[in-house]
Amino acid sequence: MISENLIVDRGVSAGDNWITIAAESAHEALSSLKEEGYRLLVFLTCVDHLADSSREWPSRYELVYQLRNMDSLEQLRVRAFVDGDPPHVDSVSDLFPPGNWDERETYDMFGIVFENHPDLTRILMPDDWVGHPLRRDYPVGGEVVEFSEEHETWQTAPDKA
Amino acid sequence: MGLEALAESMGQNILTTSLGKLIGWGRGNSVWPAQFGLACCAIEMIATATAGVDIARFGSEAFRASPRQSDLMIVSGRVSQKMAPILRTIYDQMPEPKWVISMGACASTGGVFNNYALLQGVDKIVPVDVYIPGCPPRPEDLLNALMILQERIKAQGITPRQ
Amino acid sequence: MTDTDTAEIGMGVTVTKTGETGAFGGELLTINFGPHHPSTHGVLRLIVDLDGEQVKRLKPVIGYLHTGIEKQMEALRWQQGVTVTDRHDYLSPPINNLAYALAVEKLMGVDVPPRANALRVIMSELTRLSSHLVWMGTSGLELGAMSMLMYCFRERDTILDMNEEISGYRMHTSYIRPGGVMADATPRFLDLLEKFIVAMPGHVDEYEDLLTMNPIWRSRTIGIGRLSAEDAKVLGASGPMLRGSGVAWDLRKQMPYSGYEGYEFEVATSDMCDCYGRYLVRIKEMRESVKILRQALDRLPDGPVNVDDRKMLPPPREELETSMEAVIHHFKLFTEGYSVPPGDVYVAVESGRGENGCYVVSDGTHKPRRVKFRAASFVNLQPLERMAMNHMVADMVAIIGTADTVLGDVDR
Repeated sequence: MISENLIVDRGVSAGDNWITIAAESAHEALSSLKEEGYRLLVFLTCVDHLADSSREWPSRYELVYQLRNMDSLEQLRVRAFVDGDPPHVDSVSDLFPPGNWDERETYDMFGIVFENHPDLTRILMPDDWVGHPLRRDYPVGGEVVEFSEEHETWQTAPDKA
Repeated sequence: MGLEALAESMGQNILTTSLGKLIGWGRGNSVWPAQFGLACCAIEMIATATAGVDIARFGSEAFRASPRQSDLMIVSGRVSQKMAPILRTIYDQMPEPKWVISMGACASTGGVFNNYALLQGVDKIVPVDVYIPGCPPRPEDLLNALMILQERIKAQGITPRQ
Repeated sequence: MTDTDTAEIGMGVTVTKTGETGAFGGELLTINFGPHHPSTHGVLRLIVDLDGEQVKRLKPVIGYLHTGIEKQMEALRWQQGVTVTDRHDYLSPPINNLAYALAVEKLMGVDVPPRANALRVIMSELTRLSSHLVWMGTSGLELGAMSMLMYCFRERDTILDMNEEISGYRMHTSYIRPGGVMADATPRFLDLLEKFIVAMPGHVDEYEDLLTMNPIWRSRTIGIGRLSAEDAKVLGASGPMLRGSGVAWDLRKQMPYSGYEGYEFEVATSDMCDCYGRYLVRIKEMRESVKILRQALDRLPDGPVNVDDRKMLPPPREELETSMEAVIHHFKLFTEGYSVPPGDVYVAVESGRGENGCYVVSDGTHKPRRVKFRAASFVNLQPLERMAMNHMVADMVAIIGTADTVLGDVDR
């Protein structure tokens, strides 16, 4: 069972249960959740909360682990907030094999470094690519569409960056 | 000495123009596409080869797996920045004379994806002969493009790229 | 390593000597397949270490179709995003739409009318059928059954004609949208669907006649690419990959959405755990899909197909001529769009390939903060090394084929 002192916060969002854990204890918490029966890591991703004024965020990057217990059909979302440039967190690919590629993708897209990952290289972008495309301060790119007002805002970072 | 060089040395005369018509007719009716599918449009490209639409009526049913045996590259789908150098390599591997059809909005202009990951139009890296609009175009659209290309090839004579 | 140790042998295949010695005394060779190799189902690149003809190591390299769809969605308004969802798993567009629409509706706390749910089920099942047909046609072609392609694409075309009738588009329908569906089914669509439901079981028999007892097909697939039930679960496989290993897991049964709990159907499984098992699962699923279509068409409820919410969906055309309020709503919707309450949600639906999920984060504005697609193919591609180990190169083609990965879904 996951010990209560690992859980920082818990709640329900649109019907989905979630808990927040400290990023340093991500590996420990997820391995105890795995023993609890959440044996499937549905996906792992990251959300960049740069210049998000909807509420106060503890840090810029939020890691999201969606877990599922295939026997009891329970689902649990585990959040961990990380900061730094680049942010570091322990890899969970040894606990959940599908996490291997998910972590590589998160590294590629957000630049989050997963410690102890067997092969942390870019997976979707070319190896020599500069930058991490899904960060909010990375421009959408493409070509300027004439007469489109919105394009200006796509190309530049938000004010509070 | 290739056929093109021979034609060049002879200049324009009754022999070369008649020969040009014959060669154009032959080339136009046996355009072999490279089997090179990228994304959604590739599925419609496969559909063009099946019984319902039947590209074989136009002599192009022989989708070649090797670029060295093909005359036509159908860029069927979005080209990412990672794929672009490979696409250019395949184009370079094809023997002259060669033609390119840019199939669909993504290959022609980037389509709905105006972003960092995609090449905004395949004409930035290879010369395109026919563009097909649509996302993805119907198989009939591909046939239409092939017919337009055939007209062009037949009019080109011995030395297509001049 | 000198230049002579690497040779290109055409079709995008290069061979490199590794310097290691294999079990048969020969040297291990590294072979690069793709990314434009004709048998890899799209732009998949594989780096394979071979001992003789046996696969000893295999590393898929992906990203050659990376489209930036997730980034693009952040730059589009909520209702515009539907168009982009079509294009990631391009063999099952309405199912992708459905995952996104359900996620947005869950965040907004909206329930769609029963007729919309029934039409969503119809479109999902038609899509599942067309996706399995493309799979069977192309896999058959790769393993030497050329005529399968012709038969399968014939039925696929009738499905696409129905798509065209109901949405105006053959492949990327954008038919299922947050708040309901694009438009009501036309009488001609229902007529075509009726004819299709009557004809389809006979066509499935036809495919089975061609493949199920075909000695070439059987010897190319039975015992090839084994994946045990335990491995499949641990590696996160879903869809026919998981059911082909004997695990009865189908999100339509386990976590029903859009009223799937009201339909009678069986979850197709096979205990064979190999390529043939996955083929049997897909054949069975096609029959079950036809059953679901029959039930959905027979009890298609009457009523509206969209939620009655002027803040979310545009008013009907007639209202624009008489009501000022309708004009304002229309204007606001098409200049700003609607905003979604802050929060995040994950919704998973069962596509032809497995669990197709959509994780949506809203910051309360009229554009999503983050949209993440949990792609079935992305996860189903990871067991490839385990399945192909110690098989021949030619069997690898069968294994990639029956894993049914769509590269657009893998790379997004």
